[in-house]
Amino acid sequence: MESLFLKNFRNYLQQQVYFHPRVNIISGENGFGKTNLIEAVYYLSVTRSFRTSNDHELAGFPGRFFFIKGLFSKDEDKHLLQISYNENQLKVIIDNDRKKRFDHLCLFPVVVFSPDDLLIIREGPATRRRFINLHVSRLNQYYFQELRSYHRVLLQRNKLLKEKKNRRDLEKLLEPWDDSLIDHGCTVIRLRKEMIRLLAKEATPFFSRMTGQQEELSLEYIGSVDSEEDNADLQLLFRELLLKKREVEIRRQVTMVGPHLDDLSIIIDEKDSRKFSSQGQKRTAALALKIAEAKMLYKKNGKWPILLLDDVFSEFDNKRKERIIEFLSGIDSQCFLTSSIALDPFLMEMARNYKVFNVQRGVVRDEKDGDSC
Amino acid sequence: MAYPRALNRLVEVLCRFPGIGPKTAQRLSFFLLDCSREEVVAIARAMVEAKDKLDYCQICGSLAESGFCSYCSDGGRDRSLLCVIQEPRDVLVIERTGQYRGLYHVLHGVLSPLDGIGPEELRFEQLERRIADNHINEVIIATNPNVEGDATAGYLARMLKPQGVRVTRIAFGLPVGGDLEYADDLTLSRALDGRRDM
Repeated sequence: MESLFLKNFRNYLQQQVYFHPRVNIISGENGFGKTNLIEAVYYLSVTRSFRTSNDHELAGFPGRFFFIKGLFSKDEDKHLLQISYNENQLKVIIDNDRKKRFDHLCLFPVVVFSPDDLLIIREGPATRRRFINLHVSRLNQYYFQELRSYHRVLLQRNKLLKEKKNRRDLEKLLEPWDDSLIDHGCTVIRLRKEMIRLLAKEATPFFSRMTGQQEELSLEYIGSVDSEEDNADLQLLFRELLLKKREVEIRRQVTMVGPHLDDLSIIIDEKDSRKFSSQGQKRTAALALKIAEAKMLYKKNGKWPILLLDDVFSEFDNKRKERIIEFLSGIDSQCFLTSSIALDPFLMEMARNYKVFNVQRGVVRDEKDGDSC
Repeated sequence: MAYPRALNRLVEVLCRFPGIGPKTAQRLSFFLLDCSREEVVAIARAMVEAKDKLDYCQICGSLAESGFCSYCSDGGRDRSLLCVIQEPRDVLVIERTGQYRGLYHVLHGVLSPLDGIGPEELRFEQLERRIADNHINEVIIATNPNVEGDATAGYLARMLKPQGVRVTRIAFGLPVGGDLEYADDLTLSRALDGRRDM
C-alpha cells in the first residue's frame, strides 16, 4: 500500500499519508488515533472494521459520512480503492469500477494482530465463526458466495417457521428450503473443515515452538451436522437431523441445525482452551492462529498479506514479542505497527527499512525515515 | 435554485421510474420541455395506451394485447412443452434465442417468505390446472439461479412430478465462446456441478 487518504474517519478530519513499502511504525499517545489509522487500512481491504460492525461509528465529527482512499500496488500495477459512506450507504470503487461490500476480499488481504485476538478464544462461538468465515472467504471466493446463499436461505426459512400455517402446508413449503439449506450448508461445512485442517497444520508447529515443545495445539471443527464421511453422507445426515428437529424448530420458530451454529474448538493439550487455558496460553494460541492465517494467504497468493500489528508490543511478554519479530523479519511483507511506548529496542533491531509516524490528536506527521540502524 | 412548480412536479414523477435519479429526471424533464407539444402528447399517449391495452394472457400470464398472448394463440408451437419463468419480460429473453418453440407460464414472482410471497401469491394453481387439462410432456423451470429461484423450482418439481410430467431445470454454467480461464469461480463451480455424461 502506497498511500492513504482519510476524510472524516474517526478522529481524522482530513489526512493524507504516504507509507513505506516495508515497516511503518505509528507512534503516539493513547487516544490520539493510532489504531484508527490501521483500522482504515483494514476497512479498505475487508470493507468492515475489526473493532465494530457499525459503520456509522467510523464517521467522525458531526455528520454521518466518511471517505477512505488507498493506493495499492500489485504486480507492478497500481490500484485505487475508494470507499465512501454516507447515511448508511456504502460505495466501494476500485479503479472506477463500482463493487459491492466484501466483493474484493481476496484482492488486497490484510491480517490484523491485536490484543483483541484473545476474544477469538475467549468469546462465544459467533466470534470464532466470524474469524473462520473471513479466513475461508479470502482463500476461496466460492465459499463466500455459498455462505451468502446459505444465510439467505436461513433467513427465508426462519421467516417461514414464524408464519402461522397449518402443519401440512408448512411441511410442504419447508421442503424446497430444506433442500437449499442442506445443499449450501454442506458446501460451507466441507470448505470450513478443509481450511481448518490446513490452518491447524500451520498453527500447531508455531504453537509448539513458542511453548518450547511443551504444549500441543489442535483445532477441531464442531459441527451440528458432523460426519467423517464424504459429502453425500453429510447431506443425508443433515436431512435426518432436520427431520428429527422438526418439532422443536416449529415450536421455537427458528432453524436449529446447520453451520450457522457450528464452532471451532481450540484445544491445548487435549483440553478446550476456552475453559481450561491460562490467559497466556490463550494469547499464544490466538497469535498462532493469526500467523497461520497470514501463512495460508502467502501460500495462496505467493505474496504476504499486509500485516497490521495493533499495540501487540505493549501487551505481549518478551517471548511472544521475540517470536513475532522473528516471524516479521523473516518475511518481506508490508507492516504497520502501532506503539504507545517509545520505540522498542526490539523494533529497532528488526526494522532496517522503516518510517515512523507520529500521531497527535488526529494529525499524522512523518517523523523520520530509516534505511539502516 | 428553485425550479417552477410544474417542473419540480415533473422531476418528482420521473424519479419514480426505476433506475432514474434526480439528475436523470432533470435531464428528461428538460428534454420534454424542448419537445413540441405534439411530441409530448404522443409520448404521454403511448404510455396510457400501453397501460390500457396491455394485460396479462389469460392462459400463461405473459403480456397480451387481447386476452391471449401471441404465443398461446400461435398454432405452430409445441403444445406439449412448457417453460416456467419468473417475470413477463423473461419471455422476450427466451424468445430471442429463437430455439424455443414451446409455450410459457409466467409465475409473476418467486417464493420469498421474507417478502410475504407464498404459493398463493404466484400462478401455481393455474399451472397445475394447465398441466392437468392439457397434454404436457415436459415442464422446463427457468427461474433465476439464486436462492429464491432455486427454492421455487424445488417446490414446483415436488408439486408437478406426481402428475406424471417430466420436470427439468435449465442448466447453469459457462458462457458460450468464453475461455475457462476467465470464468469466475462461482460460475465454474456451478458448471462443474452441472456437468453431464458424454
